[in-house]
Amino acid sequence: MTLKKFLTFFAATALPLCFAAGSHAQVSPERLLATANTPGDWLLYHGNYNGQRYSTLSQITPRNVANLELKWIWQVRSRGGSSEKFEATPLVFDGVMYTVSPPNDVVALDPKTGRVFWTYNYTPDQNARVCCGRVNRGVAVHGDTLFMGAIDGHLLAIDRISGKLKWNITLGDPALGYAITVAPLVIGDKVIVGPAGGEYGIRGFIAAYDVNTGAEIWRFNTVPGPGEAGFESWQDPAQEAWKLGGGSIWTTGTYDPKLNLMYWGVGNPGPDWNGDSRPGDNLYTDSVVALNPDTGKLVWHYQFTPHDEMDYDSTQVPVLADIAWQGKPRQVLMLANRNGVFYVIDRTTGEFLLGKPFVAVNWMDGNFDAKGRPNRVLSPTAEGTFIMPNNQGATNWYSPSFSPATGLFYVPTWMDTYSVYTKREAQYIPGQTYVGAYPTMAVPALAARLTNQRIPEDGTGAIQAIDPRTGQIVWRHVMSDVTDSGVLSTASNLVFAGGREGIFYALDAKTGAELWKQRLGGQVASGPISFQLDGKQYIAVSAGAGLFVFGLR
Amino acid sequence: MSRHHRRGGCLGIAAMLVLCAQGVWAQEHSYAPSDIENGRGLYQANCLGCHGDQGSSVESVDLGSGRFRRATSDEELAALIRAGIAGTLMIPRPQFSDSELVGLVSFLRTMRAQTGSTVAAREVVLGNAGHGEELFFGSAGCGNCHGVGGGGSRLYVDLANIGGTRSPASLENSILYPDAEVREGQRFMQVVDKKGNARAGLLMNQDTHSIQVMSLDEKLVSFAKSDLKSWAFLPSQMPSSRDVLSSADVSDLVAYLVSLKKAE
Repeated sequence: MTLKKFLTFFAATALPLCFAAGSHAQVSPERLLATANTPGDWLLYHGNYNGQRYSTLSQITPRNVANLELKWIWQVRSRGGSSEKFEATPLVFDGVMYTVSPPNDVVALDPKTGRVFWTYNYTPDQNARVCCGRVNRGVAVHGDTLFMGAIDGHLLAIDRISGKLKWNITLGDPALGYAITVAPLVIGDKVIVGPAGGEYGIRGFIAAYDVNTGAEIWRFNTVPGPGEAGFESWQDPAQEAWKLGGGSIWTTGTYDPKLNLMYWGVGNPGPDWNGDSRPGDNLYTDSVVALNPDTGKLVWHYQFTPHDEMDYDSTQVPVLADIAWQGKPRQVLMLANRNGVFYVIDRTTGEFLLGKPFVAVNWMDGNFDAKGRPNRVLSPTAEGTFIMPNNQGATNWYSPSFSPATGLFYVPTWMDTYSVYTKREAQYIPGQTYVGAYPTMAVPALAARLTNQRIPEDGTGAIQAIDPRTGQIVWRHVMSDVTDSGVLSTASNLVFAGGREGIFYALDAKTGAELWKQRLGGQVASGPISFQLDGKQYIAVSAGAGLFVFGLR
Repeated sequence: MSRHHRRGGCLGIAAMLVLCAQGVWAQEHSYAPSDIENGRGLYQANCLGCHGDQGSSVESVDLGSGRFRRATSDEELAALIRAGIAGTLMIPRPQFSDSELVGLVSFLRTMRAQTGSTVAAREVVLGNAGHGEELFFGSAGCGNCHGVGGGGSRLYVDLANIGGTRSPASLENSILYPDAEVREGQRFMQVVDKKGNARAGLLMNQDTHSIQVMSLDEKLVSFAKSDLKSWAFLPSQMPSSRDVLSSADVSDLVAYLVSLKKAE
């Protein structure tokens, strides 16, 4: 085409198209509510507001899963340091995949090839400090905007087409430990998020921000101050402990649109392993809180570990489902807790229905009072106390899954671990850890030793299937090493998960039988997803420094 | 110069004075050839990977223009190189000695001459920025595609800081000869599938087997080359104003663009 011809062509076609900005489909709040209508998309961190991480796609079945093959790998590009754990859950919609390369680079990928459309590079403030890795769990979407929290406590809005920054706000001072690792939750025109930092003496909160401007709309203090409900549970005479009370947020909450309630798990109280400075139950740490997303007002709460001294953050996913409870339909919330107990709670009222250990537990004796308060029997001592499960917990931020098809709850588990908790002084120095003495752990929380150097008594990993009606373990897939992997279940009765050995596999959702496996050469430390493109179902998971996408041969 | 008496003329004169002063300042310096040569080597080893051999590979940054958003004096420029720019890929480089920094600054200040292009250094007359703004959003049609701090299409560069990163001569050149230099990240590609259907878009990425574009309706789209009959770069999407605007209007437009600088 000559230049003249081209300019004529442009005058006729291209210039008018300049006005077409924004004419494409956007991810409206309604679309997020109706994920069931677009099963080929993965629009929310959990795939759905209910936290089930369950896909209704069913092309890949127990019969053909052996034909699953690698389609492409995208490698994390590490900037300015060694590669961190790749924990992000990608979103996939409108022919684009979005994820976060740790710590905080947002990337738009072609889901067919893994080629990059754009990368938004964010260099966090050098004052950022995070207890457990410079990680990020993913983005959320509203309209044409992606939202990412950064490890320096910033919340960023990024245009999903151009990859350009729209706004950038800060939730708290990174030098004091305020950080964001959680994938935000979008409800209506609000983006909802809270800070990590429970090891640095932060005061936690959950807050909603205007998706268009970043202006704060409401804030719920997970550690109440004077005059706020729950403050009576911080009983130190000086009334100072709440200021450093912890209550961090680092796993995305869930939402029931019919009840208009959202549910967030809240982190540990500070200091972690010496509770002497903070007598009382220390609400709302180690609790699930049910909030009205319009106002941030607390509707109910349930505290799993009152006056925690074992670092049993309750930042696990509150999974929502309607199940048969004692023969009658009931709207429940299920949460497999870091403290080793699987819980079923009525999500309309917060009524405690069931609490049953899913690993060996000795910090409580298995009994609860009528309101569901656990009968605690052990605490850290100056001499050291042997407590099960260990400090990393029976499970952690790793996404569980609930399959309405099988009725089973699948939980990534660290089996039968222990720590020796020793009580020591904890002194607050701004910006430094405010914890007490680190408990011993046979299984390290972050770095994995070679599996062949470990002994079975150190604990093993497992994916366990729990019947939520009884709390009984239905099956258990045991691994030689522990797991930081999430679980995906599908309508065709498959369960996908992995572990620190770097093996990613598919299990029969009914029996736990292993049907397919692939060695990925790096720890699986993220939640798998499923999506559909051009009529074909795919499975994606991050492991090591790569994002792996599988499809049928 | 009668245009300066129109509404907005004061702004135009002020902008012109400031910019002329800066241009003269940059040109009056002389740098030792040995320093420039030393700087060239350091640039090639440390800077070329991102900034490119023309100094213009980073979006909105034109090192060859001799103008820097965050530094005016040579000392400030040296300090900037050493400290880096927080929040960007421009990382701190404390390893540079003072003499190395002198070399780098010498090279950067004379870069356009060193790299053989004289476009950016050419003197241009700046007109009435107020009238330039009217043209931009009116009859010249620039604002139909380009935003200024938002408001434009994602396909085209937002010009909110164009005056901070491009020289007047380079801006004038782009207005008159838009296809003379299409920058990386602003190139359009047309693909034709095997049925003969053509689609165009802003090139985002490509490899041996695939092409990723932002289509003209602002979608991220990927094509497998095996599905295509042909693919090729398009000339600049920007129509030339060469035979459309008077030279006075072009001067006004350039004056307006030069005035667009983001406050730090």
